Amino acid sequence: MRRLVTLSLVLVAAAAIGVTRWTNASDHRDSALLAADEAADIADVYTFRSPTNPDNLVLVMTVSGFIPPAEASTTFFDPNVLYQWKIDNNGDAVEDLVIQANATGSAGDQTMHFRGPAAPAQTGVVNRVIRGATQIAVPVSNGASPIVGANRGIKVFAGVRDDPFFFDLARFKEIVGGLASSFNNPGTDAFAGTNVLALVIELPSAMLGGTKLGVWGTTSRLQL
Amino acid sequence: MQRIGKILLVLPLLGPGTLAVAACGREGTAPAAPGMEASVVMNMDLAQEDRFGLPAIATVFIPTSLKDAYNRAAPSGDVATFKSLIVEKLMAFGQDATSANALASALTPDIQPIDLSQPTGFLNGRKLDDDVITAELGLIFGSNADLNDDHVDANDKPFLATFPYLAGPHVR
Repeated sequence: MRRLVTLSLVLVAAAAIGVTRWTNASDHRDSALLAADEAADIADVYTFRSPTNPDNLVLVMTVSGFIPPAEASTTFFDPNVLYQWKIDNNGDAVEDLVIQANATGSAGDQTMHFRGPAAPAQTGVVNRVIRGATQIAVPVSNGASPIVGANRGIKVFAGVRDDPFFFDLARFKEIVGGLASSFNNPGTDAFAGTNVLALVIELPSAMLGGTKLGVWGTTSRLQL
Repeated sequence: MQRIGKILLVLPLLGPGTLAVAACGREGTAPAAPGMEASVVMNMDLAQEDRFGLPAIATVFIPTSLKDAYNRAAPSGDVATFKSLIVEKLMAFGQDATSANALASALTPDIQPIDLSQPTGFLNGRKLDDDVITAELGLIFGSNADLNDDHVDANDKPFLATFPYLAGPHVR
């Protein structure tokens, strides 16, 4: 039975994941298109009640995974990309509110503009920057000290951080590739020592219009 | 300022569509001062390139040939479009039809649910320190001890107790 399951894992996972892209992880570089567009490639999304204020919710989105230490201070957000958290507060899997972020400036002098939460003009896969919503601008942090923006009970951050994700990706690839049949104990964290670009917002949960929420992150790009 | 002058000059000659292109070209002009709005994405239709709800779901269950379509789709269509693929994979992983259907229903639409009246912890939201890979391996492989835990249980750097919570970058 174990052999059968392992064999199934190998065959199916190899077909499912594809043998050409082995850098897949939580969602890091999860398609050929996104491997070529790291600035729009979402690595992870986290949603949790604030450890410092139970009335607040914290939303995290990480992009551009696998930034090595040597490139920590020279990897930047793409001004052509709109980063969004979408929030469904009535259970229909359609966003009722969005929080948006987009960068202006260049290289080591970027500013991230956060808007919302606000109702979007268009739901679905084609979006625009919302107008007239609360905006907080914060300088992008390119170094170790996080620059935090705050307004009306909302805190925001944008910049390079340690990748919070952890996973023995190399062993997983060996298993999927048929080179191993079990994980090692202890495993080896493939994300140790690597960085991501992170967007973080903490805001009063009361702004989100419900207690049962569905959250997802999206990146959208200006089309030619 | 010069830019605005130019745009006003050509305004009578161009329709609204061309004006938007002229004002928001892709050249990525830097703002005159930090914090100023000089964004190329304002007033433009922006097409979704990636999305993320539950960790690793797209990676494990969506075939390579459909990944771009998946990443560009809205979650409201996930049950109709992608759930059957997840059921198939789970059954190939050794689950029976009933459990595969139940788990696939929990994983679609690909949205991170959180009930604020309950403590946070994957699958109720996702904390930074939640071992989501082991949780998902457990969902997929059940009691198979060879495959239900990757034995990486925590991040390599401690998280911060205060905002922005993520640990500082690794720098050379």
